[in-house]
Amino acid sequence: MSLIPAALATATGLGVAGAAAGLVLPQRVRGAVVGVLTAGVGVAGGASGVAALGGSRWSAEVPGLLPLAGTHFAVDALSGLFMAVAGAVVAAVAVYGAGYVAGGAHGLGSRGAQAVLPLFALSLLLVPAAASVSTFLLLWELMALTSLLLVPAEHRARPAVREAAVWYAVMTHLGLVLLLVGFMVYAAQAGGETFAALRSGSGAMSPAVRGLVFVLTAVAFSSKAGLVPLHAWLPRAHPEAPSAVSALMSAAMVNLGVYGLVRVGFDLLGGGPAWWWLLAMAMGGLSAVYGILQAAMASDLKRLLAYSTSENMGLVVLGVGAAGLFDHAGNKALAGLALAAALLHVVNHSAFKALLFCAAGSVLRATGERNLDLLGGLRARMPLTTGLFALGALGAVALPPGNGFISEWLLLQSMIHGLAVPGVTTAIVLPVAVAVIALSSGLAAAVFVKALGVGFFARPRAEGAAAAGESPLLMLAGMGLLAALCAALALVPGLLGDGLDRAVEAAGRPGTRPVSGGGLQVRLDEVSAVLSPLWVVATLTVTLGAVTATVRWAGRRRQRRTRARLWDCGGGAPTPRMAYTATSFAEPLQRVFDDVLAPEQDVDVTPMRESAYLVERVKFRNRVPDRIEHRLYRPVLDFLAAAGQSARRLAGGSVHAYLGYGFFGLVTLLVVLVVGW
Amino acid sequence: MSESLFTQLLDLACGAFLLAAVVVLWRRELAAIVRLFALQGLALAAIALLLGLHEDRWDLIVVAAGIGALRAGLLPYLIRRALATLVTDRAQGQDQAAYTHSEEVRETQPLVNVAASLLTAAALTLLAYAVARPLVELDPTPATRALPVGLAVVLIGFFVLVTRRRALAQVVGFLLLDNGITATAFLAASGVPLIVELGVSFDVLLAVLVLQLLTVRVREAFGTTDIDDLRELHD
Amino acid sequence: MNTVGYTAIVLQVGAVVAGAPLLTGLMRQTRARLEGRAGAGVLQPWRDVRKLLRKEPITAVGTGPAFRWAPPLLVATSLVLAVLVPLISTDTPVRGRADLIVVVSLLALGTLALALAGLDTGTAFGGMGASREMTIAALVEPTILMAVFALSIPAGSTNLPVIVAGAADQPARLTSPAGLLAIAALAVAVLAESGRLPVDNPATHLELTMVHEAMTLEYAGPDLALVEFGAHLRLTVLLGLLASLFAPWGIATGASLAAVLLALLLAVLKVAVLGMALAAAEVFWAKLRLFRVPELLAGSFLLALLAVTASYFLGGEGGQR
Repeated sequence: MSLIPAALATATGLGVAGAAAGLVLPQRVRGAVVGVLTAGVGVAGGASGVAALGGSRWSAEVPGLLPLAGTHFAVDALSGLFMAVAGAVVAAVAVYGAGYVAGGAHGLGSRGAQAVLPLFALSLLLVPAAASVSTFLLLWELMALTSLLLVPAEHRARPAVREAAVWYAVMTHLGLVLLLVGFMVYAAQAGGETFAALRSGSGAMSPAVRGLVFVLTAVAFSSKAGLVPLHAWLPRAHPEAPSAVSALMSAAMVNLGVYGLVRVGFDLLGGGPAWWWLLAMAMGGLSAVYGILQAAMASDLKRLLAYSTSENMGLVVLGVGAAGLFDHAGNKALAGLALAAALLHVVNHSAFKALLFCAAGSVLRATGERNLDLLGGLRARMPLTTGLFALGALGAVALPPGNGFISEWLLLQSMIHGLAVPGVTTAIVLPVAVAVIALSSGLAAAVFVKALGVGFFARPRAEGAAAAGESPLLMLAGMGLLAALCAALALVPGLLGDGLDRAVEAAGRPGTRPVSGGGLQVRLDEVSAVLSPLWVVATLTVTLGAVTATVRWAGRRRQRRTRARLWDCGGGAPTPRMAYTATSFAEPLQRVFDDVLAPEQDVDVTPMRESAYLVERVKFRNRVPDRIEHRLYRPVLDFLAAAGQSARRLAGGSVHAYLGYGFFGLVTLLVVLVVGW
Repeated sequence: MSESLFTQLLDLACGAFLLAAVVVLWRRELAAIVRLFALQGLALAAIALLLGLHEDRWDLIVVAAGIGALRAGLLPYLIRRALATLVTDRAQGQDQAAYTHSEEVRETQPLVNVAASLLTAAALTLLAYAVARPLVELDPTPATRALPVGLAVVLIGFFVLVTRRRALAQVVGFLLLDNGITATAFLAASGVPLIVELGVSFDVLLAVLVLQLLTVRVREAFGTTDIDDLRELHD
Repeated sequence: MNTVGYTAIVLQVGAVVAGAPLLTGLMRQTRARLEGRAGAGVLQPWRDVRKLLRKEPITAVGTGPAFRWAPPLLVATSLVLAVLVPLISTDTPVRGRADLIVVVSLLALGTLALALAGLDTGTAFGGMGASREMTIAALVEPTILMAVFALSIPAGSTNLPVIVAGAADQPARLTSPAGLLAIAALAVAVLAESGRLPVDNPATHLELTMVHEAMTLEYAGPDLALVEFGAHLRLTVLLGLLASLFAPWGIATGASLAAVLLALLLAVLKVAVLGMALAAAEVFWAKLRLFRVPELLAGSFLLALLAVTASYFLGGEGGQR
């Protein structure tokens, strides 16, 4: 019982100490000390999460911290799951980050960034522990502000960082406003602001109010999770932020959007009508397909990973929506299964996405390049990083023996068996959902083959890649921790087993024990399915060994491998620039999905001065814009700009007018008060 | 002190408080306006003192003394000093008699003429009474019944701030606004916590210092403190 | 039970390993005869594999571990599939592990390995093959999983032996609209996955038409033997899967050795017939342009989707099986 508060208090203490250390210490030791302290925050927070997953619960009220409302904390298995995930990711990324900043006082190594980093980590761990509206919003805003301060940490190196930070700031606060309004309506109608009061008061609210609250909070949380249509900050902020921060954001922060959705939708509101969950499934499905399509078109490595995060979160929310749908139809067991699948995917995604971002950061640090078209040949120069990236990519493509496959299998099982729920809605929605999952996983395979193959294999295509060296030891250690986590989740998912069940039960749905021992089993009323990843891996390894041995034996008279030139059609050795780049790899996909992506092409021909028939220069530009952003955001931004322009007439220059606005506003308000009473 | 004596004295102080604000709207010379402001500061200190004596709270009496010192003593002194700086700049070489006739000492034609200003003040007072009625009904004591006075001075102070052309007159309007807020705080809740009062007072002091400096600079830069000439604050 | 089950697995794997090149040889021979040629004989693929295994192992300059390990991995995944897919008996010790989604994913893993190997060479051919192959694989995925969905509805599980046993018990399911649609969709998916006409021509080496061949262009010697053998295995396993799902008669469901042997014979026969039918069809097909393939795959996806909805609506709502 007392582990959770002790661990949380330790985490808070270490976080504050880390912030102080970041401000005060000289550059020589700053990175290491802050790294250690942040790792401590992660370990402590993760420990409390694991304790909660093990069955302990804790709640407390600390009246002093916030005036008027006081702060309430409560940790149950659902918050424990997210805390454990965040804790593990924070611990590993902190070690990685200590290596990342060693040797530089700019960017992430500067005083400000190092002071804010432990606070960001702390807020990631504390948000799931909040148990009242004001506490939740306070911690949510703390998380937003700290990440906002960290994103532009490398602004001296690249000017695009500032624009990214502005986008991020605006969108995260837009989400905050929606969240604020939603929670305020909820608290006002339910008669209290603690989560307990919200839970008990939700039954008495009218369906219209419940729907309004759900829509507002769902949109805000989905924006944080990076779902379309409010996803535009993700592909901007994640590439521009320092890689350790990108890893934390992608692997721990976006999860909290899912946490909010599950907490409000399932726990506090207690489930709702079908249209809520269809909305969630629509957003999730659209994000999954759109996100991975944009990732397929991206040649910036970190942008690709950011869009992949959007895709995975889309799959998670698809599962959450399906769970809600089943729950509404009365099949609680199936709802529990779908929810378990979604939560398992959150865990797996955090593991492999953090690893991928850290590896991308290593590449960026070693080569100075993020563009896949200009990378290549890194497997000879950075073998360990390549191996770690490959491990993360295996998880991301959702194929055995990776860890992504396990959660996707469970998600597919819940969808497939969802047809046990009667109704035309499910009969139409579930096959579409299965198709979405299948398409997104197929495209994910293409995306990560591109990232790994074009970025790391073959030969270097530019000087930056040719000059690369292996990452320093601390960075490798951090990535190694994450790789171990991925491997553990892939081979022995039963480690999570009971914890996952308890998390589902904490959200109010019955646990179906899908994960146990060395494998996964789905045992519902009439359905059953089994997956044992360990067996698959073992069999594959044994077979691989057998095949290799057989080949060796068959060619036993000739043992030496000779090297020969690549086939060059007789035209001389192929240069590295002849290899397929990321853009060319994605070109067939771009053509197939031409209608959805609407790529823009510009050809600019400059003829010579003497004659218009001779060409001096041709400039070709091909862009795949973010179409949703184009269609949805441009009109809103244009309208706002026009409104701002027309409002300029109000600012005539007369000080009397400016003062007068305030005076008239006040008087009008008072008159309205008098008249309205 | 007895209840009826307290009520009479309180009403007297509040009446003086409101009257001072209204007369500020009437008078045009800056020196007179500053004197009225000092008078109002005394009335405010009297209100706080009466409340403290009535409720036997020594901290209110101390606060009353502090308010009197600040708003009836220090702030008018600072403004008078700023006024003198403006005038002596202009009247260098002239004798003392020229002081009273310097342009800077009088307010130029205000934005709203005197008659209209006084009528507006009456309307604002009525509005203050109407707005404060539900508050008074919550707890009808002599102090809260005088609440509308505080609100009225707030609105009148704001009005002065909006309609005066000279920078120093605007400073006085701002200070009237603040006096009104403080009076409302005392009448409604018997004062605010000491630390809040200290903070607010410090704020006001700082504001006046800054405004004083700014006024001098404006005068040096443009030759006049008439803000109608300052029309560049836009896009 | 156990011994019979293990025997079944051993027989199955042995038959697949021995018969895969034979199946390819049979298909080539059928095609040759239909085209009026003499053909190289049914044993030619075996002869090719043996020849290649004895050649000098060669690695191309500038390639790495992905290039080295892709061929064994391809063969390994196909062998694991040969163990899992119930070609002969549904009562094997691995019947609990043979999930259809796992089967589909292992196929994709093999494709992925080969695509990475293609990119690892750093030549334009390798990249081109990898790019095209991954595009096709990404678009085949929805079809396959939708077909899995359609097949699992009547059986109530994605477990392969359960589906096959269910299909053997109720053959009427296969002639229902849902069944026929699922067969058609899965057939197209099998063609795409195994790289046969009209999606890919396994006998071409023209740049414009290569998909699979482009990825494996740099392989020689034992590596090439493994690649070719892996391709034969994949084709055999896929055709065996089709046969088990849609013509499950004869598959042993009990624990008798005689039934197992009979099932072996029937399986060989079924796969041979399927192979010959496919080869005969190929004579009349031309390879589709690469950008027509998505249309074909979209059509098969539609068929699979219709199969799902048909089996749901026509088979009665969930619960009645």
